[in-house]
Amino acid sequence: MSFITQFFQRNSIYVATIFGGAFAFQTFFDVTVTKWYENHNKGKLWKDVKVKFLEGAGEEEDDE
Amino acid sequence: MSSLAFRSLRSGSALKSSIRSLSTTSSVLSSYKHPDYTTYLNNKSDDASRNLTYFMVGSMGLLSAAGAKSTVEAFLSSMAASADVLAMAKVEVKLGAIPEGKNVIIKWQGKPVFIRHRTADEIEEANNVNIKTLRDPQNDADRVQKPEWLVMLGICTHLGCVPIGEAGDFGGWFCPCHGSHYDISGRIRRGPAPLNLEIPAYDFTDDETLLVG
Repeated sequence: MSFITQFFQRNSIYVATIFGGAFAFQTFFDVTVTKWYENHNKGKLWKDVKVKFLEGAGEEEDDE
Repeated sequence: MSSLAFRSLRSGSALKSSIRSLSTTSSVLSSYKHPDYTTYLNNKSDDASRNLTYFMVGSMGLLSAAGAKSTVEAFLSSMAASADVLAMAKVEVKLGAIPEGKNVIIKWQGKPVFIRHRTADEIEEANNVNIKTLRDPQNDADRVQKPEWLVMLGICTHLGCVPIGEAGDFGGWFCPCHGSHYDISGRIRRGPAPLNLEIPAYDFTDDETLLVG
């Protein structure tokens, strides 16, 4: 607990910690949500089915 | 135990000011038994309470700051160019296919772009012009990145026609609409146009490749 109280001693440090923490939190939140989402939708994402679709397109049609 | 302490405090203050004791309390006079509030009281030290409060306020601030940051970012990124626009924004030209002394017209963002592979004579001609006599004075060196490659927007600065290459009195471009003559550096020399032909942003990614945009 005394570790955390270090940040409350000066207002400048307090505010700086909050803003700095916001950046760290945003990255952490982004990564966590993305990880959860990709795990939840495993097998349905474009990166998972891409191989299958591109193979199929290559065999059947040669537009480009 | 607490009510006992309470009572002694009361009687002490009653000595100082009888009016105050009358106005603040009736417990001195009454025999009412107060319930025991000790289990409801905050038993933490001042420091601990304050730290908890600061921690909660700080956490709230942190979340708000992160939210505000995302909101601003989302708003700003909505103003950025979308991927399809960016894909159309640049055009790559292979310069090896353009022989010396030839013009090429390419389309870039719906506009014609003139690319001329200039000969040494033409470069010298463009540099020998006294720019003080020009309507829109500009050195040839300021209009090209490499002297042998002249890249400019093919839109007449008068009313937006597309000039014809290798024509006109100055060996450069000629606008058929109202008779503006441009020289071999694309500078206006005669006719109604007020400005030199515009130079788009471009870059030589390597010796053989020109990237317009």
